[in-house]
Amino acid sequence: MARYSFLGITVERRMTYSRIASILTTVIAIGLAFAAVAGILTAMRLDTYRAFGVILAVFITPRLLLQAILRGLPIILATLGLAIAFRMNFWNIGAEGQIYWGMIAATGVVLAHVYYGYLPDLLVLPTMLIASFIAGGVWCLIPAILKAKLNVNEILTTLMMNYIAALFVDYLIYGPWRDPHGYGFPLSIPFPSYAKLIFVAGNPSYTGLLLSIILAAIVYVIFRFTKLGFELRVIGENLDAARYAGITIPRVLMLGALLSGGLAGLGGLSIVSGIIGRLRPRASPGYGYTAIIVAWLAALNPWLIIPAGIFFGGLLVAGESLQATLKIPNAAVQILQGIIFLFIILGEFLKRYKISFGGGRGVR
Amino acid sequence: MPSHEYLVEMRGIVKRFPGVLANDHVDFDLKRGEVHALLGENGAGKTTLMNILYGLYRADEGEIYVRGKKVKIRSPKDAIKLGIGMVHQNFRLIPTHTVIENIVLGLKEVGFILNSKKLEQEIRELASSYGWRIDPSAKVWQLSAGEKQQVELLKALYRRAEILILDEPTSVLTPQETRALFNAIRRMAEEGKGVIFITHKLDEVMQVSDRVTVMRKGRVVVTKNTSDTNPAELANYMVGRPVIFTLQRKPMSPGKEVLRLKDVYAMSDKGVLALKGINLRIRKNEILGIAGVAGNGQIELAEVITGLRKVIKGKILINDVDATNKSPREIMELGVAYIPPENLRWGLVANLRVVDNLFLKAYRYPPYSNRVMINWKKIYDMADELIKKFEIVTPSKFTRTRALSGGNLQRLVLARELSGIIGGGVPDLIVAAYPTKGLDVAATEFVRKTLLRYREMGSGILLISEDLEEILMLSDRIGVIFDGRIVGEFKAEEADIERIGLLMAGAKVEAA
Repeated sequence: MARYSFLGITVERRMTYSRIASILTTVIAIGLAFAAVAGILTAMRLDTYRAFGVILAVFITPRLLLQAILRGLPIILATLGLAIAFRMNFWNIGAEGQIYWGMIAATGVVLAHVYYGYLPDLLVLPTMLIASFIAGGVWCLIPAILKAKLNVNEILTTLMMNYIAALFVDYLIYGPWRDPHGYGFPLSIPFPSYAKLIFVAGNPSYTGLLLSIILAAIVYVIFRFTKLGFELRVIGENLDAARYAGITIPRVLMLGALLSGGLAGLGGLSIVSGIIGRLRPRASPGYGYTAIIVAWLAALNPWLIIPAGIFFGGLLVAGESLQATLKIPNAAVQILQGIIFLFIILGEFLKRYKISFGGGRGVR
Repeated sequence: MPSHEYLVEMRGIVKRFPGVLANDHVDFDLKRGEVHALLGENGAGKTTLMNILYGLYRADEGEIYVRGKKVKIRSPKDAIKLGIGMVHQNFRLIPTHTVIENIVLGLKEVGFILNSKKLEQEIRELASSYGWRIDPSAKVWQLSAGEKQQVELLKALYRRAEILILDEPTSVLTPQETRALFNAIRRMAEEGKGVIFITHKLDEVMQVSDRVTVMRKGRVVVTKNTSDTNPAELANYMVGRPVIFTLQRKPMSPGKEVLRLKDVYAMSDKGVLALKGINLRIRKNEILGIAGVAGNGQIELAEVITGLRKVIKGKILINDVDATNKSPREIMELGVAYIPPENLRWGLVANLRVVDNLFLKAYRYPPYSNRVMINWKKIYDMADELIKKFEIVTPSKFTRTRALSGGNLQRLVLARELSGIIGGGVPDLIVAAYPTKGLDVAATEFVRKTLLRYREMGSGILLISEDLEEILMLSDRIGVIFDGRIVGEFKAEEADIERIGLLMAGAKVEAA
């Protein structure tokens, strides 16, 4: 049993912790994060009550809630992907890059159709879905292959590849993919309506919600009922035992990474054909990084990922209204996000370790 | 007021861990000049009690007196100051440092720059007073397990420890090294030191101790003078019921060959040659025991056969099929079962459920799954049957595996490997690496009986063990491994424990 002492503070590993304790720490973590943000806002002499009122309004006003769902969509899809990767201890920090590749592939299909058009319009969106899934998946497959064959640390490769992807989007938009009639703005042509995610009630939020639920269900089934899901779990928990059990680790690693990146790629598609309706540089304000936080918050549970993603989507919406109404910088929301993550990690630590000060219970 | 005859008195020690009462009002004492054996099964609370004495754990209740004075021991530092030294089961030495450096590490009076000459002299003298020949300037990694243990003891003695705690010190030693250790322990007692000897081996208690305290389930069952008791009685105290010591190995004529190794070479994880030309064969209905001191290639041997380690030269045939460098899965499918060492590390996933671990291999075969989906219904039904058949004690098949005791973990492994859920039927070859290490008496008996039963049902078994008694009890043939080679082979009935011991230690034995 691990136990460390330093400066009279003793840290001891807990053998067990209950599910209730687990939920409670998460709730407390979020509560503390809000309290900390309240402190910061107060210190900046801003109206804390009104600011929190604005944030709350996002989640109780139907119009804003639909916005929150829409903004949460790329986060949810990317997080579903991360849940697969994290389940097998493949630390994919590259959802952001995979999102960008999803956008590139989706936009590419639209442009190809608009300029050369040999597909019926009806098949454009399905083709975009497939293309963005593959593009995101392949972008994640590369670090997985490097890890499987050469034992390259995936944290570094996935992270660095984010920049490549984002810069490649810049190149495309400032170069060949710029809208010729766009007055020189760095934008692609706007997507025609058949290329938009609006097949449910003509509304991207409803469409996105349905898509999230379908994909969460698929991930749930993978985890619970497939051989792949079992293998992911075994690899994540004990690599030596996985080898011993005869699991083909490189195969599972690559397949898992493909699915992980593919879902993030769909997240990219949801940005260009759900939120923005075209491709532009910096189209993702860090959805892929937020997804990492959401993955922790939801404890990799595909069903919890949907509300957790909507919560963070709502914070983004709230950030914009705070800026508009109270002139609070948008960064405040990023601070909130960061603090929530910090507290969640701290809570995770407290859940697993018992901390005592001074002598504790000892021989006296 | 306790008298000074006692070096240590522990009164009413209670230590709770989540869900377990590891020490339940334990009284224990140690007299000057005695060897006091602390006997009990794994999980009886022996090591916990001693960790409290050494300051690694804090007791929840109770008092400790050292030389009659009540003390608080907050850390090993406090313990060392009180003259308490502990030699742990796994050594805590720095392999790349010399013996001297390891011994003086952390000592304030030595200063920043080592006066090697003087220290070397001191250590040499100290060592030779116990009959040890050890080179103080040797690097620790060059030493044998027995010598490493001597370094650990020297470390404690150099700090003038009067109270020595040895935690299962013989588990890594050859019979000869064990005897040398016992001589040194007796010597220490004669000098007026007190030695606490933690063990679960009865014969060692009888050989070396003056008094013995038996623990079971966190409580002291009895403290007795060793001369007033006998192994059978002690075993009774230990498990709470009479134990059968000898198992019947029915004479059988071995069948067709299931395993053959031809001149097999392999590397260890550190990239040095661990197997240097192994030749062996096993037939059906036959147990080949591999005796040897841990770290002479046993694990590597098990791993090359089961496909977990690359063979760099040589050939492995399983059921006459070339299995050299086949994947673990292909080898499993040739009918090979593997009971790995340290099952929680190598063969079980602690955070998964019991049922998941039962089907850690079989989940991929019909009827338990099709190409994509797992059929949990089939798995759950079968799991209930396996739990019953292999007597696994668990609250349910959905319990997290880490909650099981060592004996039940091993039963789980046996159920998975031997029950026939993989490929159906009895495995042709069973590779069992240290299958009873760390298990309590009841579980040990269960494992041994199971292996013998499968021998009768037709399996060929490779049994790797550091427990010589176990090897002699179960094997039809015995091979001795030393430094990556099989240095001797005996038929069970011709086995000579003296010669095996010498071979294990690397002695060249002249042909008789």
